[in-house]
Amino acid sequence: MTKLLAVIERDLKKFRRNPLVIAMSVLMPIVYLVIIGNSFQGKLKALPMAVVNLDSGPYAKRVIENLRAIEAGPDTFTIFNINDRKVAVEGVKNGKYKAALIIPPDFSKRVVLKSGPEAGLFLDNTDGISSGAIRNSVGSAFRFLGTDYVSVRERYDRVHMREINLYSKVDYYQSLVPGVVIMAIFLGTLTTGAFNLVMDRFLGIDESYLLTPLSKSDIVSGLIISGLLITTVIAVLILVLSMLITGIPFSRGIEQYISVLIVINLTTLGLLSMMFLIMGRINHPRIVGILSGFLNVILFFPSGAVYPVASFPGWLKAFAKINPEAYAVNALKAVLFKRAGLADISGDIGFLLVFTLIMLTSSIVTFKRTL
Amino acid sequence: MKNRHDKAIEVLEITKKLGRTIAVDAVSFDVIDGEFFGFLGPNGAGKTTLIRMLTTLLKPDSGGAIVAGCNVAKEPDTVRHRIGVVPQAMTSDLDLTGYENMNIYGKFYGIPRKERQERIKQLLDTVGLAARADELVAAYSGGMRRRLEIARVLVHRPEILFLDEPTIGLDPQSRHLIWEIIGKFRKRDSMTVFLTTHYMEEADLLCDRVAIIDSGKVIALGSPEDLKARIPGNDIVSLTIPDISSGIAGKIEDLPFVHKLDVQDNAVRVYVDSGAQNLPVLIEKVGEAGGKVMSATIQEQSLEDVFIHYTGKSIREEVKKVSFLVGAGVPQKWGR
Ligand SMILES: Nc1ncnc2c1ncn2[C@@H]1O[C@H](COP(=O)(O)OP(=O)(O)OP(=O)(O)O)[C@@H](O)[C@H]1O
Ligand SMILES: [Mg+2]
Repeated sequence: MTKLLAVIERDLKKFRRNPLVIAMSVLMPIVYLVIIGNSFQGKLKALPMAVVNLDSGPYAKRVIENLRAIEAGPDTFTIFNINDRKVAVEGVKNGKYKAALIIPPDFSKRVVLKSGPEAGLFLDNTDGISSGAIRNSVGSAFRFLGTDYVSVRERYDRVHMREINLYSKVDYYQSLVPGVVIMAIFLGTLTTGAFNLVMDRFLGIDESYLLTPLSKSDIVSGLIISGLLITTVIAVLILVLSMLITGIPFSRGIEQYISVLIVINLTTLGLLSMMFLIMGRINHPRIVGILSGFLNVILFFPSGAVYPVASFPGWLKAFAKINPEAYAVNALKAVLFKRAGLADISGDIGFLLVFTLIMLTSSIVTFKRTL
Repeated sequence: MKNRHDKAIEVLEITKKLGRTIAVDAVSFDVIDGEFFGFLGPNGAGKTTLIRMLTTLLKPDSGGAIVAGCNVAKEPDTVRHRIGVVPQAMTSDLDLTGYENMNIYGKFYGIPRKERQERIKQLLDTVGLAARADELVAAYSGGMRRRLEIARVLVHRPEILFLDEPTIGLDPQSRHLIWEIIGKFRKRDSMTVFLTTHYMEEADLLCDRVAIIDSGKVIALGSPEDLKARIPGNDIVSLTIPDISSGIAGKIEDLPFVHKLDVQDNAVRVYVDSGAQNLPVLIEKVGEAGGKVMSATIQEQSLEDVFIHYTGKSIREEVKKVSFLVGAGVPQKWGR
């Protein structure tokens, strides 16, 4: 026991002597959250759109009102009123606007006469994402024209959709938080635990420790425990910071706090053991550098942190089934956004537990206590 | 007092192949309890590989060793408790202070707190690092680091101390300091010391017995005096003889105890057995031949000459190549 504690003590002391590493471990995931959260958000905002209204009738007026409502609400686009349709279309061509909407002079008249009212929407279709968003929003501004003229009774051949939010609204920024926490755990487990072994080997100082009566499990568990302590503290710190930044409300239930801690600890332990299994024989930090990029891509992106697992193709879905980060993201999302309790995430916890046990035993068994 | 064994180390036909080279080739020898035993050999001779096998770091391909009464292969843990090893490369933690390095090491051996603290203080005093114990090792010089590492492996009072080229790359002053320290510890704790080196004077000065190793094989073993006595012409007598003629030189060469003769102007170097006894005979013979000895010095042969005698090559030629690699604080990987 003294020996195990000494391994942990040595590792923590060495970690503390590198303040830059500590600062970076906390800062990087937060910067990641801010950059991803603001660069490709779930909904597009403030796309510039030129509007040319040539009709003074009541229906054109209502369309404009609806557009203003969208601008004020979801803010998909920002309206620029233009008088000349040529200027508007030119603006789309040279990139000043993402779209130009032109309401012809006879628009209201045609609505009244039911002779097929038309409005023109010029889109910059080189930018598929914004043009799609504008098409949908503008379409919704015209939708009243259809419903106004259907009878008051419900029509049964028509599907009415109404959005029902089961949980309090989660915006895109907030939905990234579980992923950012997992990212912090990944970085933590990569740079503690087995990495210290790699560095000791690289510097040639492992020899002096292999000469002592430390057992295989003293070495492996000691490094894993110190990695667990360091990474848990960082992950919790990042969770709290990113909840504050994105405005996720803190729960009042003790069960949620326990659940979050269990998920963070188990994920950390699982990844640390996995790293030990992978890096157990590596003796150069450069190999760890290469591995880190690779592991991050294959674990993080298929985890559901940025894109839902349900939308993956079959083979990737199958991989997500054995990806510990996917279970961790799932469990964290459930606890943070759905107020789930321990029972609700027992499946995820079960998987993480089994994963950790398998990785830990195999890393201790395969670890070689010789040079 | 720990249980002692007549033989501190028994090595039997130990062999290790690394890559394509047989680094250690069926080596056998014994080290007597309390002895200062040296392994002398040039770079790549197999010294580090041998030490690593004796200290549980490498498994031999065949053969084996009993160290401090335990079979290295069967009871590595007991062996680790009974030995202290200073590897060839610097292995102290740069991110820890000198004291922390020793303290952690003591904990690895499960030494109780109070005993540990006292022992560390005493050791740091002896190696002259007490004043700088709380500085990070990163701020130590190469010689200081070495002294710390020697002190560190003595925290648990080992029976046998293994030192793999402990003075490599150090200046003569630091080297002498380390020799002095090793001597002090050895006396105080009556330890067996196993040292490898490629410095002749180190082996000559420190060791009770020396094994000379080359290309994985032990080619000679004995006390330095024994080894030197074993080679013919173990003393060199330098004579100054003005106007030396070929007749005088021939007379000297005919003497039964003379092996070789070098003549350069007035200076004559004569390789002889038992120089002190035979010097009067030499002077007499020169006089008989009509010459006059103006001065004479007797010089013992060194282990260097022993090495040349057994291997046909000088140990120093190979040494120079690497010594510049070894600087203070530079992480080194030796023979890995
Ligand atoms: N990992 C390895 N793979 C292949 N060959 C090796 C390895 N390590 C050592 N060797 C070879 O084994 C031989 C003995 O090496 P060793 O390190 O034991 O020599 P040494 O006597 O300690 O030399 P030095 O004085 O340079 O430390 C050398 O020929 C070396 O090249
Ligand atoms: Mg060596």
